[in-house]
Amino acid sequence: MRTRIIVKFDVKPPYVVKPVHFEGLRKIGLPMDLAKKYYLQGADEVMYVDIVASLYQREILFDEVEKTANELFIPFGVGGGVRSIEDFSKLFHSGADKVIINTYAVQENPDIINQAAEIFGSQAIVVSIEAKKWKNNWECYTDCGRIQSNKDVIDWVKEVEKRGAGEILLQSVDCDGRQRGFDIELSKKVVEAVHIPVVISSGAGTLEDIKEVIEQAKPSGIAIASILHYDKYTVQDIKEYLRKNDIEVSK
Amino acid sequence: MSDIVGVINYGIAGNIHSIKKAIEKAGGTVKVINNKEDFKVVSKIVIPGVGSFKDAMKELENDNLMASLKEEIKTKPTLGICLGMQLLSTLGFEYGRTEGLSAIDAEVKPMLVDAKVPHMGFNNINVLNSNDLLKNLENEEFYFMHSYEVVNYTNIIALTDYAGHKFVSSIQKDNLYGVQFHPEKSREAGIKLFKNFLEL
Repeated sequence: MRTRIIVKFDVKPPYVVKPVHFEGLRKIGLPMDLAKKYYLQGADEVMYVDIVASLYQREILFDEVEKTANELFIPFGVGGGVRSIEDFSKLFHSGADKVIINTYAVQENPDIINQAAEIFGSQAIVVSIEAKKWKNNWECYTDCGRIQSNKDVIDWVKEVEKRGAGEILLQSVDCDGRQRGFDIELSKKVVEAVHIPVVISSGAGTLEDIKEVIEQAKPSGIAIASILHYDKYTVQDIKEYLRKNDIEVSK
Repeated sequence: MSDIVGVINYGIAGNIHSIKKAIEKAGGTVKVINNKEDFKVVSKIVIPGVGSFKDAMKELENDNLMASLKEEIKTKPTLGICLGMQLLSTLGFEYGRTEGLSAIDAEVKPMLVDAKVPHMGFNNINVLNSNDLLKNLENEEFYFMHSYEVVNYTNIIALTDYAGHKFVSSIQKDNLYGVQFHPEKSREAGIKLFKNFLEL
């Protein structure tokens, strides 16, 4: 299977921003402009997360989502502040192909995963994880790594798979935005723990980092933000490098 | 082309936005089908699919589209996408046993494969019988996102290999076409497929 190269948008409306360590935001650009840019670069998918919706307890901004969707003829995952079946439905109607959920499921009501999977199908439900290492384990965090959940990452990914999630977006609070490599140990453990696809995020600094995590953890996809947003590489640079190293990617 | 393509809008699950946009990019005109009167002005039909088999059939019934849809797809060129293709079958087994539109003699079952499921990402299609829908698309990649597959033996026009498991990725029976992948999410290759559909 070709490893998917996904571009991640952390959105603080109206801008895509890039948090370092999930804090200290830098403005990158408007989601619709960046969507077009990365579509033309050959991205396989875009994942858009409104990183403040949950914290401010407001709805995601559907107009922004729709404008971004208009630029894309590739899959588009959207999340941030999702807390009801109605939110899922509105996002699909705004052009999302997948809906990403974290805070509400892990902190308040994990049953929403079961309900959403039964209505929308597992393939459209992505559970996002913000993992933070503590001794030899990882704990689930929410709201950009601010709030603890007391849930073990490995137990939680197994649970969400049983509940009907179709995909995991794995982020590392420790590595995000630092461009110093992925948490490979965590990535391996999560990929091995579940039968659903896992997308690994947080930490790409060099092309070698991406190759290393794919070879070692064998994820279904890699979600990349900083090195693309700062124009260090293009999506095609990444794909060409991976192809040269015998890693299968799409055109 | 003066054809108007009717895209079925059913239930709370459907993402018809991207399909509409892709057909328009391919040069087509779209009419969203919200009730049975809307069928009158369209000469082709697209059945989208986000959702589970069981829920989708329930929603078609609730939205009062089922009877007309069954009638319309007897004659008009029709394209089922992902779950939309699966719904053309006789029976589905997602969240229990549900009767489908029964337009093609097939059943929809979970993918049994020694790899990650849902099957998610770009993959090739192996065209078995040359046909107008997949014309000049033999070497293209398409985006798949599904946990279930259509089991059918007589109407296959393309197969796809996932981790050594070959499954039905496109079917055709007379005026009915179905694709398991999402052409509206498959870059320019998908737009070309819609162009082929418009030319049918």
